[in-house]
Amino acid sequence: MTEPSGGSTDKPRRPVAVPAVGLVALTAIGITALLGGLNEAPDEPEPLGQGAVLDQGRYETKFVESRVTVERAQSEFQQDKRFLELVFDVTNKGDETSAVGRPPDKIERAFTAETFAGSLVKISPALPKESGPFIFVRTKGGESTQLHPGVKSQVIVRYKLNENEQPPEKVTLDVGTFEFVDNPVFNDPHWKLTSKEVGDKHMPEIKARVTLPVKKGDGA
Amino acid sequence: MTATEQRSTVAPSRRRTRRTEGRRGGGGAAKALSAVAGVLLVGGAMGMQTLHLSDSEFGDPLVYSGAKGEAVDARRFSVKLESVAVAKSIKSSTKTVETDHLFLVVDVAAKSSLKPYHLKEPVLVTGDGKKFDATDRVDNSLTLSRKWVQPDIWTRGRFFFEVPASALAGASVRFRLPGASSVLVEPYRPEAEIDLGLDEDAARKLAASPQAVYSTDKK
Repeated sequence: MTEPSGGSTDKPRRPVAVPAVGLVALTAIGITALLGGLNEAPDEPEPLGQGAVLDQGRYETKFVESRVTVERAQSEFQQDKRFLELVFDVTNKGDETSAVGRPPDKIERAFTAETFAGSLVKISPALPKESGPFIFVRTKGGESTQLHPGVKSQVIVRYKLNENEQPPEKVTLDVGTFEFVDNPVFNDPHWKLTSKEVGDKHMPEIKARVTLPVKKGDGA
Repeated sequence: MTATEQRSTVAPSRRRTRRTEGRRGGGGAAKALSAVAGVLLVGGAMGMQTLHLSDSEFGDPLVYSGAKGEAVDARRFSVKLESVAVAKSIKSSTKTVETDHLFLVVDVAAKSSLKPYHLKEPVLVTGDGKKFDATDRVDNSLTLSRKWVQPDIWTRGRFFFEVPASALAGASVRFRLPGASSVLVEPYRPEAEIDLGLDEDAARKLAASPQAVYSTDKK
């Protein structure tokens, strides 16, 4: 009549499973929390190339090309001017005329943008401030700053190149998109660049990263 | 007289019977009636709510509308749309601008009621609600916005839009005064909206035969 080793049936079993599972769960939660919680990971910007089309909410934009152009001198007192040009085909999908806008000086200020060029939140390589950018709509033989609703316009963003200055091999654009905000409290429905608060700053959400090889053309 | 006398004599018993009757049989109908009345009242109240102006509507301008050719009185100023023309290019003394779309030239006369104003560049509102600003490709100095609009004197001038042909049908032009300041928003700003009077056919006809050159030199 020996008792089986390993404990009798009437001896209460130690509750091991519950603390073990508890500990594992706690560790898992802790690690998740340490890694930044269960928030959605930020979307990686979509890599786009020349000729790609991006829906920016307020605009539909085709990244046509990047090229070096030359404006021939009008008189003997002037010199030829060389420009690095970024060319876009922009269709205003909104229902009113919008200005073409300007790219932000700093990415921290980009969130206030409402108009097309404001969505080009970062243009790299950065060119010196005195060389541009100059932004305009090229229409038949003229320039404008307006993007009319439902109309496709060619937008030029350009930088002046100094004599002998070599243009970069390629230009990379970080591009944001717009959302329509209609807050009943502030009573000011408008388009704004999609952005979110990071710390005490508003950072634009970068929807696409567009790489355009620079065509040298006759100006190189 | 007889009826009241009768009633006064038999009133107590009758009232009692009526009440008990009411509780038993007529009560359902009365309740249903009051429920219907209640629903109607609530419905009416909700209906009235839809007439309530929202905050943004309070900020909207007061728009006085009219047709081409008639003087539209927006109280502080009056505008009359004299004629409409379309062209493929606009020629001024210094340069000629061309377009792939159409230039719409509106020839208007304006006067004010009390003090002189400059009119702000108008907005073209298309049949489907799109708003086109006056084009910046034609110099301001050629438009009416440069001239003083004085009390009781009709001042003639033009405004220029660059629009696709599809924007013409059902379009109207909205004239307004410049804002006093960008900070203070004035409620009930007056605006004059004038229908160009272009239906589908007229718009197609107009768009099909634009002038090659519209010269701003001629008067």
